[in-house]
Amino acid sequence: MTAPAAPAAARRAPLTGVVVPPPRPPRLALRALSVAVVVVVVGAFWSVDISWGRLADLPSEVVRYLWLMFSAPDWSALPEALRQTWRSVAMAWLGTVLGILIATPLSLLAARGHGPAPVRGALRLVFAVIRAVPEIIIAIVILSVTGLTPLTGALALAVNGVGTLGKWGYEAIEGIGRGPVEAVRAAGGSGPHVLRWGVWPEVLPAFGSFWLYRFEINVRSSAVLGLIGVGGIGDMLTSYTQYRQWSTVGVLLIVVVVVTVAIDAASGALRRRIMEGARARAVQP
Amino acid sequence: MTSPVAAAATRPAVRAAVVPPPRPRGRWKASAGWAAVLAVTALTLAPGIGVEVDLGALARNWQNGADKVVALLQPDWAFFPRTVEPLLETLQMAVIATAVAGVLSLPLSLWAARTTNPHTALRGTVRAVLDVVRAVPDLLYAAVLVAMVGVGALPGILALVLFDVGIVVKLVSEQLEAADTGALEAARAAGGTQLQVNRSVAVPDMLPGFWTQLLYVLELNVRASSVLGLVGAGGMGLLIDAVRSFYRYDQLSLIILEILVVVLVLEAVSSAARRRLV
Repeated sequence: MTAPAAPAAARRAPLTGVVVPPPRPPRLALRALSVAVVVVVVGAFWSVDISWGRLADLPSEVVRYLWLMFSAPDWSALPEALRQTWRSVAMAWLGTVLGILIATPLSLLAARGHGPAPVRGALRLVFAVIRAVPEIIIAIVILSVTGLTPLTGALALAVNGVGTLGKWGYEAIEGIGRGPVEAVRAAGGSGPHVLRWGVWPEVLPAFGSFWLYRFEINVRSSAVLGLIGVGGIGDMLTSYTQYRQWSTVGVLLIVVVVVTVAIDAASGALRRRIMEGARARAVQP
Repeated sequence: MTSPVAAAATRPAVRAAVVPPPRPRGRWKASAGWAAVLAVTALTLAPGIGVEVDLGALARNWQNGADKVVALLQPDWAFFPRTVEPLLETLQMAVIATAVAGVLSLPLSLWAARTTNPHTALRGTVRAVLDVVRAVPDLLYAAVLVAMVGVGALPGILALVLFDVGIVVKLVSEQLEAADTGALEAARAAGGTQLQVNRSVAVPDMLPGFWTQLLYVLELNVRASSVLGLVGAGGMGLLIDAVRSFYRYDQLSLIILEILVVVLVLEAVSSAARRRLV
Protein backbone atom coordinates (compact mmCIF):
# COMPACT_ATOMS: atom_id res chain seq x y z
CA MET A 1 0.00 0.00 0.00
CA THR A 2 2.42 2.68 1.21
CA ALA A 3 5.42 0.50 0.60
CA PRO A 4 6.95 2.40 -2.34
CA ALA A 5 6.56 5.73 -0.54
CA ALA A 6 8.08 4.59 2.73
CA PRO A 7 11.79 4.29 1.82
CA ALA A 8 11.72 7.57 -0.03
CA ALA A 9 10.12 9.29 2.94
CA ALA A 10 12.68 7.75 5.25
CA ARG A 11 15.51 9.08 3.16
CA ARG A 12 14.23 12.63 3.15
CA ALA A 13 12.72 13.26 6.56
CA PRO A 14 13.97 12.05 9.96
CA LEU A 15 12.04 9.07 11.28
CA THR A 16 9.53 10.60 13.59
CA GLY A 17 6.39 8.73 12.65
CA VAL A 18 4.94 5.76 14.51
CA VAL A 19 6.43 2.35 13.86
CA VAL A 20 4.15 0.42 11.54
CA PRO A 21 4.26 -3.30 12.39
CA PRO A 22 4.21 -5.70 9.45
CA PRO A 23 0.78 -7.04 8.59
CA ARG A 24 -0.17 -10.09 10.62
CA PRO A 25 -0.35 -13.40 8.76
CA PRO A 26 -3.88 -14.73 8.27
CA ARG A 27 -4.93 -16.11 11.60
CA LEU A 28 -8.38 -17.49 10.84
CA ALA A 29 -7.22 -21.10 10.35
CA LEU A 30 -5.07 -20.94 13.45
CA ARG A 31 -7.93 -19.54 15.50
CA ALA A 32 -10.30 -22.24 14.25
CA LEU A 33 -7.73 -24.89 15.12
CA SER A 34 -7.19 -23.58 18.65
CA VAL A 35 -10.94 -23.41 19.22
CA ALA A 36 -11.27 -26.99 18.01
CA VAL A 37 -8.45 -28.17 20.30
CA VAL A 38 -9.96 -26.37 23.30
CA VAL A 39 -13.39 -27.84 22.56
CA VAL A 40 -11.97 -31.37 22.34
CA VAL A 41 -9.96 -31.02 25.55
CA VAL A 42 -12.79 -29.41 27.53
CA GLY A 43 -15.21 -31.98 26.14
CA ALA A 44 -12.95 -34.80 27.26
CA PHE A 45 -12.62 -33.35 30.77
CA TRP A 46 -16.33 -32.73 31.01
CA SER A 47 -17.51 -36.09 29.71
CA VAL A 48 -15.01 -38.47 31.27
CA ASP A 49 -16.38 -40.65 34.04
CA ILE A 50 -14.19 -39.58 36.94
CA SER A 51 -15.20 -38.47 40.39
CA TRP A 52 -12.96 -35.44 40.52
CA GLY A 53 -13.49 -35.28 44.27
CA ARG A 54 -11.00 -38.14 44.60
CA LEU A 55 -8.37 -35.88 43.13
CA ALA A 56 -8.45 -33.63 46.21
CA ASP A 57 -7.09 -36.25 48.58
CA LEU A 58 -4.71 -37.63 45.96
CA PRO A 59 -1.56 -35.82 47.23
CA SER A 60 -1.95 -37.10 50.76
CA GLU A 61 -2.69 -40.60 49.44
CA VAL A 62 0.40 -40.55 47.26
CA VAL A 63 2.56 -39.45 50.17
CA ARG A 64 1.03 -42.17 52.36
CA TYR A 65 1.72 -44.91 49.81
CA LEU A 66 5.21 -43.63 49.05
CA TRP A 67 5.88 -43.82 52.78
CA LEU A 68 4.51 -47.38 52.90
CA MET A 69 6.69 -48.37 49.97
CA PHE A 70 9.98 -46.70 50.74
CA SER A 71 10.15 -46.05 54.49
CA ALA A 72 11.08 -49.64 55.32
CA PRO A 73 11.77 -51.57 52.13
CA ASP A 74 11.66 -55.32 52.57
CA TRP A 75 15.10 -56.25 51.26
CA SER A 76 14.54 -59.96 51.81
CA ALA A 77 12.73 -59.96 48.46
CA LEU A 78 15.81 -58.67 46.67
CA PRO A 79 17.35 -62.02 45.51
CA GLU A 80 14.07 -63.17 43.99
CA ALA A 81 13.58 -59.72 42.44
CA LEU A 82 17.00 -59.88 40.80
CA ARG A 83 16.30 -63.38 39.50
CA GLN A 84 13.04 -62.20 37.96
CA THR A 85 14.77 -59.12 36.54
CA TRP A 86 17.28 -61.39 34.84
CA ARG A 87 14.38 -63.33 33.29
CA SER A 88 12.88 -60.05 32.03
CA VAL A 89 16.20 -58.90 30.61
CA ALA A 90 16.77 -62.33 29.03
CA MET A 91 13.32 -62.05 27.45
CA ALA A 92 14.19 -58.59 26.15
CA TRP A 93 17.54 -59.75 24.76
CA LEU A 94 16.14 -62.79 23.00
CA GLY A 95 13.28 -60.70 21.63
CA THR A 96 15.78 -58.18 20.29
CA VAL A 97 18.00 -60.82 18.66
CA LEU A 98 15.04 -62.58 17.02
CA GLY A 99 13.67 -59.21 15.91
CA ILE A 100 17.01 -58.29 14.34
CA LEU A 101 17.26 -61.62 12.52
CA ILE A 102 13.79 -61.19 11.01
CA ALA A 103 13.82 -57.44 10.45
CA THR A 104 17.22 -57.01 8.76
CA PRO A 105 16.45 -58.96 5.55
CA LEU A 106 12.91 -57.56 5.50
CA SER A 107 14.13 -53.98 5.80
CA LEU A 108 16.42 -54.59 2.84
CA LEU A 109 13.48 -55.87 0.79
CA ALA A 110 11.44 -52.83 1.85
CA ALA A 111 14.11 -50.33 0.80
CA ARG A 112 13.72 -48.46 -2.48
CA GLY A 113 16.24 -49.72 -5.01
CA HIS A 114 16.63 -53.15 -3.44
CA GLY A 115 13.23 -54.83 -3.23
CA PRO A 116 10.52 -55.20 -5.89
CA ALA A 117 7.79 -52.56 -5.62
CA PRO A 118 4.83 -54.76 -4.60
CA VAL A 119 6.87 -56.50 -1.89
CA ARG A 120 8.07 -53.11 -0.71
CA GLY A 121 4.54 -51.73 -0.32
CA ALA A 122 3.28 -54.87 1.43
CA LEU A 123 6.19 -54.92 3.88
CA ARG A 124 5.78 -51.25 4.74
CA LEU A 125 2.10 -51.84 5.46
CA VAL A 126 3.00 -54.81 7.69
CA PHE A 127 5.54 -52.71 9.59
CA ALA A 128 2.97 -49.92 10.09
CA VAL A 129 0.31 -52.34 11.31
CA ILE A 130 2.69 -54.03 13.75
CA ARG A 131 3.77 -50.66 15.12
CA ALA A 132 0.15 -49.67 15.74
CA VAL A 133 -0.64 -52.74 17.88
CA PRO A 134 0.61 -52.67 21.49
CA GLU A 135 3.02 -55.52 22.22
CA ILE A 136 0.86 -56.80 25.06
CA ILE A 137 -1.90 -57.62 22.53
CA ILE A 138 0.61 -59.43 20.33
CA ALA A 139 1.62 -61.42 23.41
CA ILE A 140 -2.03 -62.31 24.10
CA VAL A 141 -2.32 -63.73 20.58
CA ILE A 142 0.99 -65.61 20.79
CA LEU A 143 0.34 -67.14 24.20
CA SER A 144 -2.28 -69.44 22.70
CA VAL A 145 0.64 -71.31 21.13
CA THR A 146 3.43 -71.05 23.67
CA GLY A 147 1.49 -70.62 26.89
CA LEU A 148 2.36 -68.30 29.74
CA THR A 149 6.14 -68.62 29.43
CA PRO A 150 8.97 -66.11 28.95
CA LEU A 151 9.25 -67.41 25.39
CA THR A 152 5.85 -65.82 24.65
CA GLY A 153 7.22 -62.53 25.86
CA ALA A 154 10.36 -62.86 23.76
CA LEU A 155 8.34 -63.71 20.64
CA ALA A 156 5.95 -60.79 21.22
CA LEU A 157 8.90 -58.42 21.59
CA ALA A 158 10.46 -59.88 18.44
CA VAL A 159 7.29 -59.33 16.40
CA ASN A 160 6.91 -55.82 17.79
CA GLY A 161 10.58 -55.16 17.08
CA VAL A 162 10.13 -56.11 13.43
CA GLY A 163 7.73 -53.18 13.05
CA THR A 164 10.15 -50.56 14.37
CA LEU A 165 13.47 -52.10 13.25
CA GLY A 166 12.07 -52.71 9.78
CA LYS A 167 11.02 -49.10 9.40
CA TRP A 168 14.23 -47.60 10.78
CA GLY A 169 16.18 -50.11 8.69
CA TYR A 170 14.72 -49.27 5.30
CA GLU A 171 14.92 -45.56 6.06
CA ALA A 172 18.63 -45.95 6.88
CA ILE A 173 19.28 -48.02 3.76
CA GLU A 174 17.53 -45.45 1.59
CA GLY A 175 19.50 -42.68 3.26
CA ILE A 176 23.01 -43.90 2.35
CA GLY A 177 25.02 -42.17 -0.35
CA ARG A 178 25.12 -43.62 -3.85
CA GLY A 179 28.94 -43.60 -3.90
CA PRO A 180 29.90 -46.92 -2.30
CA VAL A 181 27.13 -48.80 -4.12
CA GLU A 182 28.20 -47.38 -7.49
CA ALA A 183 31.85 -48.06 -6.71
CA VAL A 184 31.16 -51.75 -6.04
CA ARG A 185 29.05 -51.98 -9.19
CA ALA A 186 31.79 -50.25 -11.24
CA ALA A 187 34.35 -52.73 -9.91
CA GLY A 188 32.17 -55.52 -11.30
CA GLY A 189 30.39 -56.55 -8.11
CA SER A 190 27.15 -58.51 -8.34
CA GLY A 191 23.99 -57.91 -6.29
CA PRO A 192 25.21 -59.72 -3.15
CA HIS A 193 28.59 -57.98 -3.47
CA VAL A 194 26.84 -54.61 -3.53
CA LEU A 195 24.96 -55.53 -0.36
CA ARG A 196 28.02 -56.89 1.43
CA TRP A 197 30.59 -54.22 0.47
CA GLY A 198 28.45 -51.22 -0.54
CA VAL A 199 25.37 -51.17 1.69
CA TRP A 200 26.30 -53.17 4.79
CA PRO A 201 29.37 -51.16 5.92
CA GLU A 202 27.43 -47.94 5.34
CA VAL A 203 24.39 -48.89 7.43
CA LEU A 204 26.07 -51.01 10.12
CA PRO A 205 26.71 -48.16 12.60
CA ALA A 206 23.14 -46.93 12.28
CA PHE A 207 21.81 -50.47 12.56
CA GLY A 208 23.92 -51.12 15.66
CA SER A 209 22.51 -48.00 17.22
CA PHE A 210 18.92 -49.04 16.35
CA TRP A 211 19.51 -52.50 17.81
CA LEU A 212 20.74 -51.10 21.10
CA TYR A 213 17.86 -48.62 21.21
CA ARG A 214 15.39 -51.40 20.52
CA PHE A 215 16.97 -53.42 23.35
CA GLU A 216 16.39 -50.47 25.71
CA ILE A 217 12.73 -50.34 24.63
CA ASN A 218 12.41 -54.11 25.05
CA VAL A 219 13.80 -53.98 28.60
CA ARG A 220 10.94 -51.66 29.52
CA SER A 221 8.37 -53.65 27.58
CA SER A 222 9.47 -56.97 29.07
CA ALA A 223 8.60 -55.61 32.52
CA VAL A 224 5.18 -54.66 31.16
CA LEU A 225 4.60 -58.06 29.57
CA GLY A 226 4.90 -59.62 33.01
CA LEU A 227 1.47 -58.14 33.74
CA ILE A 228 -0.29 -60.79 31.64
CA GLY A 229 1.67 -63.50 33.42
CA VAL A 230 4.57 -64.41 31.13
CA GLY A 231 6.99 -64.13 34.04
CA GLY A 232 9.71 -61.72 35.01
CA ILE A 233 9.75 -58.65 37.20
CA GLY A 234 6.39 -57.36 35.95
CA ASP A 235 4.68 -60.58 37.02
CA MET A 236 6.21 -60.29 40.49
CA LEU A 237 5.27 -56.62 40.76
CA THR A 238 1.60 -57.22 39.92
CA SER A 239 1.21 -60.05 42.40
CA TYR A 240 2.78 -58.09 45.25
CA THR A 241 0.66 -55.04 44.32
CA GLN A 242 -2.47 -57.16 44.41
CA TYR A 243 -1.53 -58.53 47.84
CA ARG A 244 -0.81 -54.91 48.84
CA GLN A 245 2.63 -55.80 50.23
CA TRP A 246 3.88 -52.29 49.77
CA SER A 247 7.29 -52.72 51.40
CA THR A 248 8.11 -55.37 48.75
CA VAL A 249 6.59 -53.30 45.93
CA GLY A 250 8.97 -50.51 46.93
CA VAL A 251 11.98 -52.81 46.54
CA LEU A 252 10.71 -54.03 43.17
CA LEU A 253 10.25 -50.47 41.89
CA ILE A 254 13.76 -49.57 43.04
CA VAL A 255 15.12 -52.61 41.19
CA VAL A 256 13.20 -51.71 38.01
CA VAL A 257 14.43 -48.12 38.09
CA VAL A 258 18.07 -49.00 38.84
CA VAL A 259 18.27 -51.76 36.23
CA THR A 260 16.53 -49.69 33.55
CA VAL A 261 18.66 -46.60 34.18
CA ALA A 262 21.85 -48.72 34.24
CA ILE A 263 21.01 -50.50 30.97
CA ASP A 264 20.00 -47.21 29.34
CA ALA A 265 23.25 -45.58 30.41
CA ALA A 266 25.42 -48.48 29.18
CA SER A 267 23.55 -48.82 25.92
CA GLY A 268 23.47 -45.04 25.40
CA ALA A 269 27.25 -44.81 25.90
CA LEU A 270 27.76 -47.66 23.44
CA ARG A 271 25.43 -46.02 20.91
CA ARG A 272 27.28 -42.71 21.14
CA ARG A 273 30.55 -44.58 20.70
CA ILE A 274 29.23 -46.35 17.63
CA MET A 275 27.86 -43.23 15.97
CA GLU A 276 30.76 -40.93 16.81
CA GLY A 277 33.35 -43.60 16.00
CA ALA A 278 31.72 -44.00 12.63
CA ARG A 279 31.76 -40.27 11.99
CA ALA A 280 35.44 -39.93 12.96
CA ARG A 281 36.41 -42.71 10.55
CA ALA A 282 34.39 -41.16 7.76
CA VAL A 283 36.36 -37.89 7.71
CA GLN A 284 39.78 -39.60 7.64
CA PRO A 285 41.54 -39.23 4.28
CA MET B 1 46.06 -38.83 -18.49
CA THR B 2 48.91 -40.28 -20.49
CA SER B 3 51.79 -38.42 -18.90
CA PRO B 4 51.69 -40.15 -15.49
CA VAL B 5 51.42 -43.49 -17.19
CA ALA B 6 54.44 -42.74 -19.31
CA ALA B 7 56.35 -41.57 -16.28
CA ALA B 8 55.41 -44.73 -14.43
CA ALA B 9 56.52 -46.90 -17.30
CA THR B 10 60.00 -45.45 -17.11
CA ARG B 11 60.23 -46.51 -13.47
CA PRO B 12 60.02 -50.29 -13.25
CA ALA B 13 59.51 -50.36 -9.49
CA VAL B 14 55.89 -49.29 -9.90
CA ARG B 15 55.24 -52.31 -12.09
CA ALA B 16 55.61 -54.54 -9.05
CA ALA B 17 52.59 -56.27 -7.60
CA VAL B 18 49.90 -53.97 -6.27
CA VAL B 19 50.23 -53.76 -2.52
CA PRO B 20 46.84 -53.37 -0.89
CA PRO B 21 46.68 -50.86 1.92
CA PRO B 22 47.12 -52.42 5.35
CA ARG B 23 43.93 -53.67 6.91
CA PRO B 24 42.63 -51.27 9.52
CA ARG B 25 43.65 -52.26 13.00
CA GLY B 26 41.14 -53.14 15.66
CA ARG B 27 39.22 -55.63 13.53
CA TRP B 28 39.29 -58.05 16.44
CA LYS B 29 36.98 -55.63 18.24
CA ALA B 30 34.15 -56.31 15.79
CA SER B 31 34.67 -60.08 16.12
CA ALA B 32 34.75 -59.76 19.90
CA GLY B 33 31.50 -57.80 19.74
CA TRP B 34 29.74 -60.48 17.70
CA ALA B 35 31.15 -63.17 20.01
CA ALA B 36 29.81 -61.32 23.05
CA VAL B 37 26.36 -61.05 21.45
CA LEU B 38 26.40 -64.79 20.72
CA ALA B 39 27.52 -65.60 24.26
CA VAL B 40 24.77 -63.53 25.87
CA THR B 41 22.20 -65.04 23.52
CA ALA B 42 23.36 -68.52 24.48
CA LEU B 43 23.11 -67.52 28.14
CA THR B 44 19.53 -66.29 27.72
CA LEU B 45 18.66 -69.60 26.10
CA ALA B 46 20.45 -71.72 28.71
CA PRO B 47 18.09 -74.21 30.36
CA GLY B 48 17.26 -73.40 33.96
CA ILE B 49 18.43 -69.81 34.04
CA GLY B 50 17.16 -68.22 30.87
CA VAL B 51 14.14 -68.24 28.59
CA GLU B 52 13.22 -71.87 28.10
CA VAL B 53 12.51 -72.57 24.47
CA ASP B 54 10.19 -75.56 24.35
CA LEU B 55 9.93 -76.44 20.68
CA GLY B 56 7.81 -79.45 21.59
CA ALA B 57 5.12 -77.17 22.98
CA LEU B 58 5.29 -75.13 19.80
CA ALA B 59 4.68 -78.24 17.71
CA ARG B 60 1.91 -79.51 20.01
CA ASN B 61 0.00 -76.24 20.24
CA TRP B 62 0.46 -75.19 16.66
CA GLN B 63 -3.12 -76.17 15.81
CA ASN B 64 -4.40 -74.20 18.78
CA GLY B 65 -2.59 -71.10 17.56
CA ALA B 66 -3.82 -71.59 14.03
CA ASP B 67 -7.41 -71.75 15.33
CA LYS B 68 -6.85 -68.48 17.18
CA VAL B 69 -5.49 -66.84 14.06
CA VAL B 70 -8.52 -68.04 12.09
CA ALA B 71 -10.76 -66.57 14.80
CA LEU B 72 -8.79 -63.34 14.61
CA LEU B 73 -9.42 -63.17 10.88
CA GLN B 74 -13.19 -63.27 11.44
CA PRO B 75 -14.03 -60.20 13.51
CA ASP B 76 -17.30 -60.35 15.39
CA TRP B 77 -18.94 -57.21 14.03
CA ALA B 78 -21.99 -57.64 16.28
CA PHE B 79 -19.69 -56.84 19.20
CA PHE B 80 -19.18 -53.29 17.91
CA PRO B 81 -21.83 -51.46 20.01
CA ARG B 82 -20.23 -52.69 23.23
CA THR B 83 -16.85 -51.36 22.21
CA VAL B 84 -17.95 -47.78 21.54
CA GLU B 85 -17.99 -46.62 25.15
CA PRO B 86 -14.58 -48.08 26.13
CA LEU B 87 -13.10 -46.70 22.94
CA LEU B 88 -14.40 -43.23 23.81
CA GLU B 89 -13.01 -43.56 27.31
CA THR B 90 -9.63 -44.51 25.87
CA LEU B 91 -9.66 -41.38 23.71
CA GLN B 92 -10.77 -39.20 26.64
CA MET B 93 -7.95 -40.54 28.77
CA ALA B 94 -5.42 -39.88 26.02
CA VAL B 95 -6.63 -36.30 25.39
CA ILE B 96 -6.82 -35.35 29.08
CA ALA B 97 -3.42 -36.85 29.83
CA THR B 98 -1.86 -35.01 26.90
CA ALA B 99 -3.39 -31.69 27.97
CA VAL B 100 -2.29 -32.05 31.59
CA ALA B 101 1.16 -33.22 30.56
CA GLY B 102 1.47 -30.24 28.23
CA VAL B 103 0.65 -27.77 31.00
CA LEU B 104 3.12 -29.43 33.38
CA SER B 105 5.98 -29.91 30.94
CA LEU B 106 6.15 -26.35 29.59
CA PRO B 107 7.75 -24.88 32.74
CA LEU B 108 9.60 -28.12 33.52
CA SER B 109 11.26 -28.09 30.08
CA LEU B 110 12.48 -24.54 30.69
CA TRP B 111 13.85 -25.64 34.07
CA ALA B 112 15.59 -28.67 32.59
CA ALA B 113 17.51 -26.86 29.82
CA ARG B 114 20.89 -25.27 30.37
CA THR B 115 20.16 -22.25 28.20
CA THR B 116 16.99 -21.26 30.02
CA ASN B 117 17.88 -22.19 33.59
CA PRO B 118 21.30 -21.12 34.91
CA HIS B 119 20.76 -22.74 38.33
CA THR B 120 22.70 -25.99 38.20
CA ALA B 121 21.17 -27.48 41.33
CA LEU B 122 17.55 -26.89 40.30
CA ARG B 123 18.23 -28.12 36.78
CA GLY B 124 19.98 -31.23 38.07
CA THR B 125 17.12 -32.01 40.43
CA VAL B 126 14.46 -31.70 37.72
CA ARG B 127 16.48 -33.90 35.38
CA ALA B 128 17.28 -36.56 37.98
CA VAL B 129 13.65 -36.84 39.08
CA LEU B 130 12.47 -37.14 35.48
CA ASP B 131 15.14 -39.74 34.68
CA VAL B 132 13.71 -41.88 37.45
CA VAL B 133 10.13 -41.19 36.34
CA ARG B 134 10.99 -42.22 32.78
CA ALA B 135 12.57 -45.50 33.86
CA VAL B 136 9.24 -47.02 34.93
CA PRO B 137 6.91 -48.12 32.11
CA ASP B 138 3.39 -46.65 32.04
CA LEU B 139 1.63 -49.97 32.70
CA LEU B 140 3.61 -50.50 35.91
CA TYR B 141 2.58 -47.03 37.06
CA ALA B 142 -1.00 -47.91 36.23
CA ALA B 143 -0.79 -51.19 38.15
CA VAL B 144 0.47 -49.42 41.27
CA LEU B 145 -1.85 -46.41 40.90
CA VAL B 146 -4.93 -48.61 40.52
CA ALA B 147 -4.13 -50.10 43.91
CA MET B 148 -3.71 -46.57 45.29
CA VAL B 149 -6.69 -44.62 43.94
CA GLY B 150 -9.02 -47.38 42.82
CA VAL B 151 -10.18 -48.76 39.46
CA GLY B 152 -11.19 -46.36 36.67
CA ALA B 153 -9.92 -43.77 34.26
CA LEU B 154 -8.17 -41.66 36.93
CA PRO B 155 -5.18 -43.98 37.60
CA GLY B 156 -4.83 -44.46 33.85
CA ILE B 157 -4.67 -40.71 33.25
CA LEU B 158 -2.17 -40.24 36.08
CA ALA B 159 0.05 -43.01 34.70
CA LEU B 160 -0.05 -41.47 31.23
CA VAL B 161 0.74 -38.00 32.59
CA LEU B 162 3.82 -39.29 34.45
CA PHE B 163 5.03 -41.09 31.36
CA ASP B 164 4.32 -38.13 29.04
CA VAL B 165 6.00 -35.49 31.20
CA GLY B 166 9.13 -37.64 31.27
CA ILE B 167 9.29 -37.84 27.47
CA VAL B 168 8.19 -34.31 26.56
CA VAL B 169 10.53 -32.57 29.01
CA LYS B 170 13.49 -34.64 27.83
CA LEU B 171 12.86 -34.02 24.13
CA VAL B 172 11.91 -30.33 24.44
CA SER B 173 14.78 -29.45 26.80
CA GLU B 174 17.24 -31.14 24.43
CA GLN B 175 15.76 -29.10 21.61
CA LEU B 176 16.12 -25.92 23.70
CA GLU B 177 19.78 -26.67 24.36
CA ALA B 178 20.44 -27.40 20.70
CA ALA B 179 18.84 -24.13 19.56
CA ASP B 180 20.88 -21.12 18.55
CA THR B 181 21.58 -18.91 21.59
CA GLY B 182 21.89 -15.63 19.67
CA ALA B 183 18.40 -14.37 20.42
CA LEU B 184 18.69 -15.38 24.09
CA GLU B 185 21.98 -13.51 24.43
CA ALA B 186 20.51 -10.45 22.72
CA ALA B 187 17.57 -10.45 25.13
CA ARG B 188 19.91 -10.82 28.10
CA ALA B 189 22.14 -8.02 26.77
CA ALA B 190 19.08 -5.81 26.51
CA GLY B 191 18.73 -6.21 30.28
CA GLY B 192 16.01 -8.84 30.51
CA THR B 193 15.75 -11.01 33.59
CA GLN B 194 15.86 -14.79 33.05
CA LEU B 195 12.07 -14.93 33.35
CA GLN B 196 11.60 -12.17 30.77
CA VAL B 197 14.15 -13.73 28.44
CA ASN B 198 12.43 -17.11 28.64
CA ARG B 199 9.01 -15.58 28.23
CA SER B 200 9.81 -13.41 25.23
CA VAL B 201 12.48 -15.44 23.41
CA ALA B 202 12.77 -19.06 24.52
CA VAL B 203 9.06 -19.89 24.69
CA PRO B 204 8.07 -18.61 21.22
CA ASP B 205 11.16 -20.33 19.86
CA MET B 206 10.38 -23.71 21.37
CA LEU B 207 6.62 -23.74 20.74
CA PRO B 208 6.59 -25.45 17.31
CA GLY B 209 8.80 -28.25 18.63
CA PHE B 210 6.74 -28.42 21.78
CA TRP B 211 3.47 -28.89 19.83
CA THR B 212 5.15 -31.54 17.69
CA GLN B 213 6.19 -33.51 20.77
CA LEU B 214 2.70 -33.16 22.27
CA LEU B 215 1.17 -34.59 19.09
CA TYR B 216 3.65 -37.45 19.24
CA VAL B 217 2.76 -38.06 22.87
CA LEU B 218 -0.95 -38.01 22.00
CA GLU B 219 -0.31 -40.85 19.55
CA LEU B 220 1.62 -42.79 22.19
CA ASN B 221 -1.18 -42.16 24.68
CA VAL B 222 -3.91 -43.55 22.44
CA ARG B 223 -1.83 -46.67 21.90
CA ALA B 224 -0.93 -47.00 25.59
CA SER B 225 -4.34 -46.14 27.04
CA SER B 226 -5.95 -48.89 25.00
CA VAL B 227 -4.07 -51.46 27.09
CA LEU B 228 -3.91 -49.70 30.47
CA GLY B 229 -7.28 -51.25 31.29
CA LEU B 230 -5.59 -54.65 31.51
CA VAL B 231 -4.56 -53.66 35.03
CA GLY B 232 -7.90 -51.98 35.78
CA ALA B 233 -7.19 -48.43 34.66
CA GLY B 234 -10.20 -47.93 32.39
CA GLY B 235 -10.69 -47.74 28.65
CA MET B 236 -10.41 -50.45 26.03
CA GLY B 237 -8.08 -52.60 28.12
CA LEU B 238 -10.86 -53.67 30.50
CA LEU B 239 -12.70 -55.10 27.52
CA ILE B 240 -9.54 -56.76 26.20
CA ASP B 241 -9.08 -58.44 29.55
CA ALA B 242 -12.70 -59.68 29.51
CA VAL B 243 -12.69 -61.11 25.98
CA ARG B 244 -9.29 -62.68 26.52
CA SER B 245 -10.44 -64.59 29.60
CA PHE B 246 -13.38 -65.98 27.58
CA TYR B 247 -11.06 -66.79 24.65
CA ARG B 248 -13.25 -64.70 22.33
CA TYR B 249 -10.52 -64.04 19.80
CA ASP B 250 -13.11 -62.96 17.22
CA GLN B 251 -14.07 -60.10 19.53
CA LEU B 252 -10.43 -59.38 20.32
CA SER B 253 -9.92 -59.09 16.59
CA LEU B 254 -12.54 -56.33 16.34
CA ILE B 255 -10.90 -54.48 19.24
CA ILE B 256 -7.48 -54.70 17.61
CA LEU B 257 -8.97 -53.45 14.34
CA GLU B 258 -10.52 -50.46 16.09
CA ILE B 259 -7.28 -49.55 17.86
CA LEU B 260 -5.48 -49.94 14.55
CA VAL B 261 -7.89 -47.63 12.71
CA VAL B 262 -7.82 -44.99 15.44
CA VAL B 263 -4.01 -45.06 15.69
CA LEU B 264 -3.47 -44.92 11.92
CA VAL B 265 -6.01 -42.08 11.48
CA LEU B 266 -4.41 -40.15 14.32
CA GLU B 267 -0.97 -40.78 12.86
CA ALA B 268 -2.08 -39.41 9.48
CA VAL B 269 -3.70 -36.34 11.06
CA SER B 270 -0.75 -35.63 13.32
CA SER B 271 1.83 -36.03 10.56
CA ALA B 272 -0.19 -33.59 8.43
CA ALA B 273 -0.34 -31.18 11.38
CA ARG B 274 3.38 -31.64 12.00
CA ARG B 275 4.20 -30.70 8.41
CA ARG B 276 2.25 -27.46 8.92
CA LEU B 277 4.00 -26.75 12.22
CA VAL B 278 7.58 -27.26 11.12
